[in-house]
Amino acid sequence: MFAQKFEYTAPKTLDEALHLLANGAKPLAGGMSLIPMMKLRLAAPEHLVDLRALKDLNYIREAGGQLHIGATASHYDIESSALLRQKCPLLTETAAAIGDVQVRNLGTIGGSVAHADPAADYPAALQALEAKFVLRSEKSERTLSAADLFVDALTTALQPGEILSEVIVPIDDTRTGTSYLKMAQPASGFAIVGVAARVRQNAGKISFVRIGVTGLSNRAYRATAAEKALEGKTGSAADIQSAAALVARGVDANSDLHASADYRKHLAVVHAARALKTALSRIA
Amino acid sequence: MATTTVKTETFVGKRIRRREDPRLITGTATYVEDIQMPGMHYAMILRSPHAAARIRSINTKPAEAAPGVVCVFTGKDTKGVGVVPCGVAMPDLRVPQHTILATDRVYFVGHPVAVVVARDRYLARDAADLIEVDYEVLPAVADPEKALAKGAPAVHPQWPDNIAFTYHQDGGNIDKAFAEADVVVKQRIVSQRLVPMAMETRGVVAEWRGADRQLNLYTSTQIPHLVRTLVAGMLGLEENRMRVIAPEVGGGFGSKLNVYAEEALMGFVSTRIQKPVKWIESRRENFTCTIHGRGHVDYYEVAAKRDGTILGIKLKLIQDVGAYHQLLTPLIPQLSVLMMPGIYNTQNIRADIVGVFTNCVPTDAYRGAGRPEATHGIERMVDVLAAELKMDPAEIRFKNFVTKDKFPYATATGLMYDSGDYAAPLRKALDLVGYVKLRLEQADLRKQRKYMGIGISTYGEICAIGPSPATPAGGWESATVKIDPTGKVTILTGTCPHGQGEETTFAQIAADELGVGLDDILVIRGDTAVVQYGIGTFGSRATAVGGTAVYYALQDLKAKIKKFGAMLLESDDVTLIGGQVVDNKTGKSTTLQEIARASYRALKLPPNTEPGLIATRFWEPPNFTFPFGAHIVVTDIDGETGQIKIRRYVAVDDCGNILNPLIVDGQVHGGVAQGLGQALWEQAVYDDDGQLTTGELMDYALPRAHLMPWIESHHTCTPSPVNPLGVKGVGEAGTIGCSPAVVNSVVDALAPLGVRHIDMPLTPEKIWKVLAAKH
Amino acid sequence: MKISGSYTLPVAPERAYQILQDPAVLAQAMPGCEGLEQIGPNEYRMKMNVILAALSGKFEGKVRIADAVPPTSFRLIVEGSGRIGFLKGDGLLKLSLANTNPSVSTVVSYEGDAHVGGTLAAVGQRLIDGTSKMMLKKFFDKLVSLAH
Ligand SMILES: Cc1cc2nc3c(=O)[nH]c(=O)nc-3n(C[C@H](O)[C@H](O)[C@H](O)COP(=O)(O)OP(=O)(O)OC[C@H]3O[C@@H](n4cnc5c(N)ncnc54)[C@H](O)[C@@H]3O)c2cc1C
Repeated sequence: MFAQKFEYTAPKTLDEALHLLANGAKPLAGGMSLIPMMKLRLAAPEHLVDLRALKDLNYIREAGGQLHIGATASHYDIESSALLRQKCPLLTETAAAIGDVQVRNLGTIGGSVAHADPAADYPAALQALEAKFVLRSEKSERTLSAADLFVDALTTALQPGEILSEVIVPIDDTRTGTSYLKMAQPASGFAIVGVAARVRQNAGKISFVRIGVTGLSNRAYRATAAEKALEGKTGSAADIQSAAALVARGVDANSDLHASADYRKHLAVVHAARALKTALSRIA
Repeated sequence: MATTTVKTETFVGKRIRRREDPRLITGTATYVEDIQMPGMHYAMILRSPHAAARIRSINTKPAEAAPGVVCVFTGKDTKGVGVVPCGVAMPDLRVPQHTILATDRVYFVGHPVAVVVARDRYLARDAADLIEVDYEVLPAVADPEKALAKGAPAVHPQWPDNIAFTYHQDGGNIDKAFAEADVVVKQRIVSQRLVPMAMETRGVVAEWRGADRQLNLYTSTQIPHLVRTLVAGMLGLEENRMRVIAPEVGGGFGSKLNVYAEEALMGFVSTRIQKPVKWIESRRENFTCTIHGRGHVDYYEVAAKRDGTILGIKLKLIQDVGAYHQLLTPLIPQLSVLMMPGIYNTQNIRADIVGVFTNCVPTDAYRGAGRPEATHGIERMVDVLAAELKMDPAEIRFKNFVTKDKFPYATATGLMYDSGDYAAPLRKALDLVGYVKLRLEQADLRKQRKYMGIGISTYGEICAIGPSPATPAGGWESATVKIDPTGKVTILTGTCPHGQGEETTFAQIAADELGVGLDDILVIRGDTAVVQYGIGTFGSRATAVGGTAVYYALQDLKAKIKKFGAMLLESDDVTLIGGQVVDNKTGKSTTLQEIARASYRALKLPPNTEPGLIATRFWEPPNFTFPFGAHIVVTDIDGETGQIKIRRYVAVDDCGNILNPLIVDGQVHGGVAQGLGQALWEQAVYDDDGQLTTGELMDYALPRAHLMPWIESHHTCTPSPVNPLGVKGVGEAGTIGCSPAVVNSVVDALAPLGVRHIDMPLTPEKIWKVLAAKH
Repeated sequence: MKISGSYTLPVAPERAYQILQDPAVLAQAMPGCEGLEQIGPNEYRMKMNVILAALSGKFEGKVRIADAVPPTSFRLIVEGSGRIGFLKGDGLLKLSLANTNPSVSTVVSYEGDAHVGGTLAAVGQRLIDGTSKMMLKKFFDKLVSLAH
């Protein structure tokens, strides 16, 4: 398996990278999705711009009451970040559930989001976190919500020449409990279904619910009907069950060798209930 | 000459770390891919994307004109090369002409169509894209049962029924057994197609040395000598002009117990271009054109008395052959038939095999080769019978075991089981797992509608393959042991270890026999120019047959050492001990080094004795060996998702005497991993068009380290009388014992829902469907 | 693989039928289509360059229309092959008037088989269902925009 000939540049500055990208080059991050496709000749970019050498893109920091994650932070960086573990444990838990050690060492959050694999793990968590995405090109910078960024299978709102430079997530206080739960496809590790739950309780009532679902259909989404159903409830087993029952309603589920559409929908319900239960139990 | 201080450290039976491992785990071993030669060229093979098609034309011109390309060959150019051999002879076997490159048709996805040779592998790959093949796509059939149906597309137009061979075997009086039965249970059982998936894919370096008229072929194989004989024949080359070297081989599992088109093709290319050429199989190619394993659809019927006594077994076995016969393809299901009664005392069997051509890559030997399928069948059927009779699965097994006073035991299928105590491992496994308590817990859990299962498999298998009359090539194995003038020991074995650890175990045998240290011994294998002819490593034979050859060569050598020692000591009563020959009367001794030096210096020789210390033996085994064991698997099933969790895995294997417990455990662990792969995850899936839809590791679910349960590996020991080492073989036992234990466990868990059988792999969705249907 | 679904076009069945068989419209609507060239009655040669995020592949093939029953049904047969594999789709499209007010529209339902071969089939299993749905959606969305 040998890729077609291509040019490779590892620029030292982001401006240089953006300039090359504006001229038709393609970004390379961890290479965990791109390189296999090149070797299979399913992709044949003529020019790769390696983003990993760019210090400006590799960081995890707190600023302005939010958490800022540079695009080239690896899954391992995120999984092992003390800051995130404390202030956004949903993301560390999700990162730890990705693929295997080798993939986590090389793969990046920017690459995962930009690639938009319908079974990728982060998108569920990022939906539940109502993350913001900073997109940069040589000439512009814009910030999108998850709903606007994830368009369809392997398709995002990223335009040619544009990179995802940063992911912004909120800091959750101690009244918030989160959980990410997936059924991994045994061959690849990707999610057959993955559900991220984020709940807040106030005076014995659930005041806030966010549920992100991946793996089920072409794009990760927020299960808003289920969220609404649970808000204002006490969070009893029955409350959870009836809210979870809504997560897959009306969704055009995909099927493949590993799981039919019906099974995926069923798993989404089961995993939503379990993730919600765990999230509630984690509220301090 | 000194008085003796005898070194008595022995090695056999100890947990000695494998001597081969440091180079393997530090990345310093030499595989085919690591071989570099001046002037090396690289070959890339263009393969059919279609499962069945006529080739209207091939235009190689654009590829030939591409940069760096030296030449392109198609089936027209290789017409003079012999066909890929099938090593099995049987009446009415239909053998299609398996040319090394397709000529007018392609028969499976991955069928080689052309080869591009270039200075650089990237250029060769680019050029392969430029070859224009005009295919007329034909209907294909990829499922053996569909291929047998009327009106199915013919894989080979000359045989419209798609039948590759049939085979029938009767033992005892099956009709009487069924007539007298109180119950008959029937079940269709599928043993799905699997991809052997050696970590190192295949690879070949061919180096034609025109001046010497010599072809050196480096290939990742389990059988270098057989490859030499057969590939030399295909190329029309005198066998003594060909040297086959199997460098480090990164796993085979049977997939490299074969002779492949690419081995002859690279030989052909090298003689044409007069330059060395390298081809390394990609993982994609490995999926589509290295043999697959299993591929059975079995229809079982078991007749029994109400008390559980098994009276007879019928089996209709449909073997998915694929598009061609590879080296042993038709033999594999026959091994299943031989193993059909398992370790149970029934003398009535009837088996009918039908081998079916499909538009898929051929099936052949994969770890266990026919025995896992047979064991899966009988062990499932015993559980089905137990369920029918509401008997405990352990009890029904104890009732039917061949008892230990019956050995040697002649089976209904014509085998002679060498030795056994089948109840012993089951009893031990039941104790280890805490069977009685578990059943009580299970009863409790069932009340809470929780699914926990206990699965038993008591397997027997055929190892140490095998006596020559029972094998397609010779069944013997060879060994040379030589001692250099400085006293160092070299063993040349005709086996070809590639992960089994014989560099360690053979050294252990020799160290104990000669009384030297392991570091004094070198084990060499895998080079036909260095090693006397040999058969190779497969069928759990290397230690039981090859190790025995080493043992006998050592006996010859020891006799000679003693003669020289006696001469040097001027004694007629000596003992070889601790690397010294000792005069039993005076206590005086002489070392192996002194003896070795004297034997080569040859100033004086014992009567009727030649100089030098070297002995060669070709040992023909009188029988197979028959290891056995009991595996018990405890599973918990998630009632909502169908996911299976293995709570306990207890393996009690009896492989006769154990030379190195560490290596035996390793073999059991690896075997169980592959058994779990089949039971839970792996499947080679072809769609109706003959496209392999699990063609990469992103979809083909190989067992991963983090998915492995803790394997509790234990043993009982019933030595084999077949060889002086008392060993049986353990390379395949784990795989053979595993899959029925897992499926029995899951079926046991779901028994309250009336479930009797589920086919592998037990994906969560399958289990969920069973659960959903019954609730 | 079986494919089926339905979309609504905001025009009357006659017009819907017409645009669904109009090579100029099809060429614009089929994702990645770089041109249709008539080679026979109801038969066209097609060039496609499918780009899906990082994935890309050029295909050459044919589009054929058969069993035409204006304005209610026809079969659309699409075949393409390229270095990364080949695809073949054969589907029956049925058109029916949708009683939606205020404006008239047509429901196009399709049912058929899709075959994928080569590298795509072997390594793309996980994504074939989702991406084929996406391609169909793109096709019909584009048709909607062209129908007006
Ligand atoms: C064996 C295996 C198992 C896996 N299992 C899982 C799993 O369980 N869960 C999961 O979620 N994922 C899984 N993955 C995917 C993995 O997480 C990848 O790392 C990820 O999808 C892509 O990230 P990358 O950094 O490797 O990107 P690359 O492969 O380098 O790039 C992917 C695509 O994104 C583009 N790109 C990269 N960075 C940017 C950027 N900053 N801006 C714009 N475009 C960009 C590239 O041009 C390319 O098109 C697995 C991968 C493998 C190989």
